Amino acid sequence: MAPQSKFGQFLTGYGRLTIYLIPIGVAINFVGGQIALLLKLPVYLDSIGTILVGALCGGLPGAVVGFLSNVINSITSPTTFAYAILNVGFGILAGYFSRIGVFRSWWKTLLSSVAFAFIGGFIGALITIWVFGGLVGGGTGLIIGALMATGMDVNTANFVAQVPMDVLDKVPTVLAVYAIIKGIPRRLMAKLPLGWVYLGQERPGAKAQPATAVQP
Amino acid sequence: MTVTSLQEVADGYRQPRSLGNPILDLNPITTLCVIVALIVTGIALGGWVPSLAVCLLFMVAAVVAGRGRTYLPLILKLWLGVGLILFLLRALLTPGHVLIPLGRIAVTTEGIEQGLAFACVVMAICGGVTLFFEFVPMRHLTLALERLGVSPQASYVLLASFQAITDLGATAKVVLEAQTARGVETEGNVFMRVRAFFPVLAPVFLSAMAATEERAIALDARAFNSSTRHTSLVELRRTRRWEPVLAVALGVIAVGVIVGRALGWF
Repeated sequence: MAPQSKFGQFLTGYGRLTIYLIPIGVAINFVGGQIALLLKLPVYLDSIGTILVGALCGGLPGAVVGFLSNVINSITSPTTFAYAILNVGFGILAGYFSRIGVFRSWWKTLLSSVAFAFIGGFIGALITIWVFGGLVGGGTGLIIGALMATGMDVNTANFVAQVPMDVLDKVPTVLAVYAIIKGIPRRLMAKLPLGWVYLGQERPGAKAQPATAVQP
Repeated sequence: MTVTSLQEVADGYRQPRSLGNPILDLNPITTLCVIVALIVTGIALGGWVPSLAVCLLFMVAAVVAGRGRTYLPLILKLWLGVGLILFLLRALLTPGHVLIPLGRIAVTTEGIEQGLAFACVVMAICGGVTLFFEFVPMRHLTLALERLGVSPQASYVLLASFQAITDLGATAKVVLEAQTARGVETEGNVFMRVRAFFPVLAPVFLSAMAATEERAIALDARAFNSSTRHTSLVELRRTRRWEPVLAVALGVIAVGVIVGRALGWF
C-alpha cells in the first residue's frame, strides 16, 4: 500500500469533488481571459476560477488553483511566474470572504473587489518594482513607460498605472463569481465544502465537515 | 484496422515509450535538473554573456533533439515580445551617460548595459521553461513524478488542468456563438461587451461542474481513489545510470558558481 502523500491527504480532506473542481478552476481562469480577448474587453479577467474555487471549496484549494494557473501560464509567458503569489492570495482571500458570507449579497461582493484589487494592484506593483525594477513588458509596461516619460518616477508610475487597472479588472471578476454561484443548482451545492454558506445552513461541525462532501 | 497493425499498436504499449531521440528520452526529472542547473549557472556567473550563452545552448539542444522547427519560432517570438521590450524600457528609461537623446527620454550607456543583462537573464529562464515543455510531454512528467512518490491525485490535478483548458476553451467558443445566435450582443461599446461576458462564462463553468459528477464515477470505477500502487498504460524508459550523475554534477557546478561568486573568487 503506497503511503498517501500530504497533498493527497489534504485534497481528500476537502472531499473528492474539490479534486475535480481544481482543474476546472484553472481552466476557467484561462477561458475567462480568452473570452475577454474574444470580446475585445480591455481587462484580463483571468482570476475568476481562483476566486470561484476559493469561494466554493475553501481558501487552500483556491490558492492551489491560483498557483497552478500561473505555473501553467508561465510556460508561454514566463514573467507571469513572479506574480503567482497574487493569485494564491486571491484564492485564500476568497475562501475567507466566502465563509463570512460576502458572496451571498451582490453589494458585499462588489465591495470585495476593492480588497482583491488591493492585492492585485498594490502588491502587483510592488512585485514589478522589486523583481523587475519597475519595468516589465506588456500593455501595462508601456503605460508605465509613458508615465515615466512625462517625468513621473518609476514607483509612482507603477502604482498609478496598476491600481486603477486592477479595480477595473476585479469588478467584473467578482460579479461573474457572484452570478455563477447564483446559478449553481442546490443539488451540487450541497456536495461542496463551503456549500452550507450558500444553502443558508448552519456550519457543520469543523471536524465532521468533509463527511458531507466526501461522496461525489 | 488489420490484424498486424493492431498487433503493432499493442506491442507499442509493451515496451517503454520512446520519442525516438536520446535527448527526448532522458528521464523528465533529469531534463528538469539539467535545465535548472544551466539557468542557475548562467545567471550566477553574472553579466549578459553567460545568460546569452545558456539561451544559445538551449536553442542548439532543441535543434539536436529535432525540435528546432517548433522551438526556434517560439523562442524568437519571446525574444521579440518579452526580451526586446525589457531591453528597450531599460535602455530608454535608465538615467546615465546619454548616448542618443530622444526628447525627454534618452538611450544611455548604463541603460544598455542593464537592459542587456536583465533581458538575457529573463530570456535564459524563459528559454529553459519553454525548452522543458517542448522536450517533455506532460503525461511523461506526471508519470515520472508519480514514480517518485507524488500522489496520483496531485498528478491528476496537473494533467486534468491542461486537458480542461483545451476542453473548456472549445466549449467557450461554442457557447459564445450560441449566445450570439440567440441575440446576446457581442459587438458594440465596452458596456455591451462586458454584459455579454457573463452569459458566456456561466454556462461553461456550470456544465463543466455538472460533468465532474460523471468523471468522479468514471474514476471511481477505475479504482482511482484506491491507495494501492496505480498501474499505467505507458511505461517510461528505464533511467540510465549516468543520468543522475549528470544532473548532480551540473547541480554541483551551479552551487559552486554561486558560492564562488559569493566569496568573490571571480
